[in-house]
Amino acid sequence: MTIEQQRQGFAFTGSGFPTDQESLRFRRASSRMSAQIYHEPNSGTSPAQEEEQSGSEPTRELRNMVFPMALKKAVWQVQQMQAPAQFSGGSWKQKKTIFVRKFKSNVREFLYFFSLWGKTLQKIGGNFGGGVQSYFIFLRFLVVLNFVSFLLIAGFVLIPSIVFRSVDIKPEISEANVLSAQIHADCLKYDPNPQGLVVFYEFLLDLLSGTGFMEYSYMFYGYYNNTVVVTSLVGSDFSYNIPLAYLLTAVFYFAFCLICIIARMGKAARVAVTTGGSDVRSYSMIVFTGWDYGCLGSKATKLKQRNIYYRLQVDLEEERLKKHAASLTLCNKVTLYSLRVLMFFVAIGLIVATFVAIAYATTFSQENNNVQGFLGLFYTYLPSIVITTGNFLVPLLCDQIALLEKYPPSATVVVALLRAVVLRLVSLGILLYTLWNQIVCHGSTDTCPCHYNHSNYQCWETSVGQEMYKLTLFDLLVSIALLVLVEFPRRMVVDHWSCKLTQWVGRQEFVVPSNVLGLVYGQTVVWTGALFCPLLPLINTVKFVILFYCKKITLFYNCRPALRTFRSTTSAFFFLAVLLFGWILALVVMIYSVAEIHPSFACGPFRSFLRMWKIVPDSLAILPKGTRDFLFFIGSQAFSVPLFAVSCVFMCYFIALASIYGKSVAMLRAQLKLAGQDKQFLVKQIEKMKLLSPQDNEGKQD
Amino acid sequence: MGTTASQLAKDSLSEYQELTFLTKQEILLAHRRFTELLDRDERNHPNPRVPMEVILTLPELKSNPFKTRICQVFSTSEDKDGSLTFEDFLDLLSAFSDSATLEIKSHYAFRIFDFDDDGTLDCGDLEKLVNCLTGETEDTRLSSEEMRQLINNILDESDIDKDGTVNLSEFQHVISRSPDFVSSFKIVL
Repeated sequence: MTIEQQRQGFAFTGSGFPTDQESLRFRRASSRMSAQIYHEPNSGTSPAQEEEQSGSEPTRELRNMVFPMALKKAVWQVQQMQAPAQFSGGSWKQKKTIFVRKFKSNVREFLYFFSLWGKTLQKIGGNFGGGVQSYFIFLRFLVVLNFVSFLLIAGFVLIPSIVFRSVDIKPEISEANVLSAQIHADCLKYDPNPQGLVVFYEFLLDLLSGTGFMEYSYMFYGYYNNTVVVTSLVGSDFSYNIPLAYLLTAVFYFAFCLICIIARMGKAARVAVTTGGSDVRSYSMIVFTGWDYGCLGSKATKLKQRNIYYRLQVDLEEERLKKHAASLTLCNKVTLYSLRVLMFFVAIGLIVATFVAIAYATTFSQENNNVQGFLGLFYTYLPSIVITTGNFLVPLLCDQIALLEKYPPSATVVVALLRAVVLRLVSLGILLYTLWNQIVCHGSTDTCPCHYNHSNYQCWETSVGQEMYKLTLFDLLVSIALLVLVEFPRRMVVDHWSCKLTQWVGRQEFVVPSNVLGLVYGQTVVWTGALFCPLLPLINTVKFVILFYCKKITLFYNCRPALRTFRSTTSAFFFLAVLLFGWILALVVMIYSVAEIHPSFACGPFRSFLRMWKIVPDSLAILPKGTRDFLFFIGSQAFSVPLFAVSCVFMCYFIALASIYGKSVAMLRAQLKLAGQDKQFLVKQIEKMKLLSPQDNEGKQD
Repeated sequence: MGTTASQLAKDSLSEYQELTFLTKQEILLAHRRFTELLDRDERNHPNPRVPMEVILTLPELKSNPFKTRICQVFSTSEDKDGSLTFEDFLDLLSAFSDSATLEIKSHYAFRIFDFDDDGTLDCGDLEKLVNCLTGETEDTRLSSEEMRQLINNILDESDIDKDGTVNLSEFQHVISRSPDFVSSFKIVL
């Protein structure tokens, strides 16, 4: 194939040669093109280069070349003809790279087949944008996380318990730990099953609040026994320690969730860091990268266009306002800042008021624990109701406050999100704190012989598990109720009754941040309750699946796409960071329960231990000496201090590497600028010489 | 070369897999959708060429504001009428696929935005680009003053060598700092 044929095949540059300027540009463009054309065959014909490259690299580069298919095919055929010369050289390396590439693409195709709800997510992204799609991707991640962790719990705790219970192995009280004479008789009393006939609606009440038939079941901590199967009992080489398995499974569950979150955060952070430092709202970014080619349908396209128009207008206006604000007088500035400080305190006041309400509601609910019937149900759900109301009202009020504060739009979004996060997670913390205050006794051992509040809680772990179960269930019921009672009617009213009020209210907008915070709150509740209610991850999986379909339905039927969109990549990182905060809260709770509070005497796998954590040292004591010494060595300072020092060295290395890359990027940018200046200089020189040469020609012709 | 009537030959399939970023399923799906666009008599043609109006009936392209430019960029016809053969169609899908590299995507994006095909984005190109992005209706068109302010800002930010136009490397520099570009520059059948 000659150069002329190649050039004719895909002449994308200008076709005419009317002026010198344009011919210069054409020559520049075509020389760039020729360089690309010649890059491939040249490296193909020189044998020295072939030996260095593996055979798959030219093909990989061919995919990356910006040629039409016809040319790529021709080049590939040329390479195939030269292939025998290459194969003798680096054949093993080539075959390995080809094999690895094919394997990776096969695995990717296989996994795509299994990916949950793939088509639905694509449809959502095309119609509503990346921000809403990132919410559903996050929800899918949580569903998979909960399901896999439930499998973990089922495999190590649930199934052995079921097996041992059916084989009828009796639980035992280990004598080494408890001086039985000193246990108060009351501490051992625990009867969860109600006496007498059960009214039919009691069944529903029990289902909703986890009492009655549900209390003494695999659902809650109290049902599990401290069965320890030892080799001698069974006769074969099998031993299983249920309390140890229970505790270690809980620890591994937390570790597994942490690893999943950190892995996903790493992926999102890498993307955020490579683009780091750039102004997210820069105009060239919006114009060059703003269009979403996955938009389907003329309605979505028009909305996207309006979205981009709105963003450009807002940014241009903000720039004008900034220029105006820089010229504000001192008096105006002082009033603005004092207003902001005042509004900050008002927001803090609202949040603290919510916390006080939650603490009071929890105390009141625990005091009126034994009221029966629907009023009793209302009392048990009182903390959940107060939390949900607070989470609903306070952000609305904070939005109104934000209108007065007049921050720039991006700062407003961040401030609102921070307030909502603080509200959600700390309100859960307040609930747990009040609950723990009720359980732990304040006083000497005489008033409190069982080391916990025995009169109210015969099995306090089950009570905590029930509280978490109620929170989860209430969250789901409120979402479904909102869907049915608020969102559908709102759409029907707005669509069929046009008056000024409905036009102003408008159709619902799918607000991503508050929905994500709802998910994080639900997941934190599950993490806190997993130690006391082992089936909670399974319930949460089912809950999130139901929530996925409910949110999808409300998105497609009731919502209009938002005009202000949420950035999808930085938001993925933000969601995971908030989830990590929730995880830390749950971890603090778990550590406190495991290490500080005395387990119940009457129920559960740890009934004979001073603390839940005690099982680990006791089990370590019966390990063979070699293993024990090794484990003690790992935990000692002789090992951990050098490990810490080595990790610091690695971290310093990576920080230095990152700063070097940043500096080289800045240097390359400066080089680009210099190259441009050189180019301008040369163009000016050429123009000058052109001006001179026609005069020379005229002189010659004369 | 070219595709046979209703089936894709196996060696063509593996060749296309090597030369594009598409998987086997995607190539077969593209073949199916492409043959649906042909008339009965065109289907037996060895290398059929589909005119631009027919390509633009595809739902993935129908409402895209850059649809004409996309067809013109990927077309290899001598008349430059935007008509596509099956191989051009595969090139299009490969550039817009999930696994295409940032380089390929940014190169083709630059060509799509270059409305006058002169190798650089000057003020006229940028103005047409912004009008495509915001839509040409009355209430979504920027005023001329806003347009001027916007184009000045864009050239301030991205024109590094200050020649009044954005060339390919400056464009790629802006694109490389955007985390969303690769995921939004995607068309999947």
